[in-house]
Amino acid sequence: MAYDKPIPSQGIHTQPFWAGTKEGKLMLPRCEDCNRVHWYPRLICPHCHSKNLEWIEGSGEGRIHTYAVQHLAFGPWQKETPYVTAYIDLNEGDRMLTVLKGVDPLKPEEIKIGAKVKVEFEEANEDTFIPFWRVIEE
Amino acid sequence: MPGKLFKSAAIVGAAEADEIGFLKQPKTSLQLHIEAISNVCEQTGIPISAIEGVFSTGWSSEICEHLDLKPKYIDTTAVGGCSFEMHVHHAMAAIHSGIIDIALVTHGENGFSANKIGGRGAGNYSTGGPSSPSLEMTKAYGLGGAPSNYAHAMVRHMHRYGTTREDYAHIAKVTRDWATLNPRAAMYSKEKHPFGGPITVEQVEDSRLIAWPLTILHCCMVADHGGAVIVASPKVAARLKTKPVWIAGAGESMGHSNMLEMDDFTATSAARSAEAAYTMAGMGPADMEMALLYDSFTITAAITAEMLGLAPKGEGHMLWKDGRAAPGGSFPINTNGGGLSFNHSGMYGMPLLIEAYRQLSGTAEDGINGDKGKQTSAKTCIVNGTGGTLSTTGTLVLVADD
Repeated sequence: MAYDKPIPSQGIHTQPFWAGTKEGKLMLPRCEDCNRVHWYPRLICPHCHSKNLEWIEGSGEGRIHTYAVQHLAFGPWQKETPYVTAYIDLNEGDRMLTVLKGVDPLKPEEIKIGAKVKVEFEEANEDTFIPFWRVIEE
Repeated sequence: MPGKLFKSAAIVGAAEADEIGFLKQPKTSLQLHIEAISNVCEQTGIPISAIEGVFSTGWSSEICEHLDLKPKYIDTTAVGGCSFEMHVHHAMAAIHSGIIDIALVTHGENGFSANKIGGRGAGNYSTGGPSSPSLEMTKAYGLGGAPSNYAHAMVRHMHRYGTTREDYAHIAKVTRDWATLNPRAAMYSKEKHPFGGPITVEQVEDSRLIAWPLTILHCCMVADHGGAVIVASPKVAARLKTKPVWIAGAGESMGHSNMLEMDDFTATSAARSAEAAYTMAGMGPADMEMALLYDSFTITAAITAEMLGLAPKGEGHMLWKDGRAAPGGSFPINTNGGGLSFNHSGMYGMPLLIEAYRQLSGTAEDGINGDKGKQTSAKTCIVNGTGGTLSTTGTLVLVADD
């Protein structure tokens, strides 16, 4: 079935990220001056304001920072309710949003903050592979 | 020692649109603005033509044109529901600097009527547009309305402090108790609204899930509201028929725009905006006798109470749970019934200002002449607005006239 949920419009400076997703890589922006990774991708390092930014391949692993279960949604997400959304602390630092896979939305108390997660990519269209995170162990 | 701007301006009047709540006959946001402006000018005796500065979320040029005003100061700050607290801060600065003496802060938002007739209540404060990388990296993940975001903060707060959802349910219950004393509150009674009247903690817990752990009674309503306040210099305040409520302190700050950038899900920029307001006022949390805290959700009010120093971290909910915040309690909070049970049109900052003015000027309705009702004896009040997704905050320390 064709992917029917909202697909992000891709920016210009974020192209290396989207290119990576097609190869199953989680590319992350890192500052060459302060060496810190940041997310979402900036035009300038949010930590030290350097413009010397590079892209590195991330481990694709992280942990759950916090989560919620969506019982009310709009548009194409409506038919998916209930589903779990979560913020993921990346092993490299900073945080991503996701719809979390590998959990039971009807047993929210069983989802553990701090649980290990791994990224996977879903093909939304020819140009867009969207990263989602899955719980791999508690 | 108070700061330089201490009491350099006062709120001299506060009024609402002719009718608010779930309007049977829909109204536009502009109608709600104009009704409120007309009412506050009648209340204070300040003619509309005397307004020198206009402060509103993106609406200021349309309001000025509609009223044929030629203002000396225009402010359109639109960073969510706390914008109106910031407008008061900005108006105070403009008055202190000598540019103007009379400022109008105005709000109109047909949050409910918009379902029938459309509308544009809120300013354009959403996160970015097609060229926003933060939206680009969050758009795919099924977050929609405010509850879908705020639920993440409640989960983290519970995780960190060992609180339970029931702890926060007390906030909804107590805030409803206040609403049952306020006939203007949308949830005043069963007669006024099928889901109105008193509620129990169990009912809050058992109501419909919106975004776990938030049930619908942990969430504010979306209704119609218009309101306006006038901020004036001491010399103007001295000649008016209304009582001044002095701005002793004001501050504003922000943490993030997109919740993706919220470093600590259990804290907001209210710690900074409150520090600025307390410093200007030369006062602290212990000097406050009541509070009006933006309660888009129960968790918003709990975290805010902690940020303002009204309760230790992780114990904000105790103000409600042990009855201090309740009618008859030692520290009244959200005496109008809050965004949870009074009215919330999308941006709730204006009702906070109006209720603060009414309480401190002794003009809170229903009870001013008797025991029953919501008029308190407070002479100081801290007001905190929270906008966006726990993103932006504006704090005011207000004090009654001596």
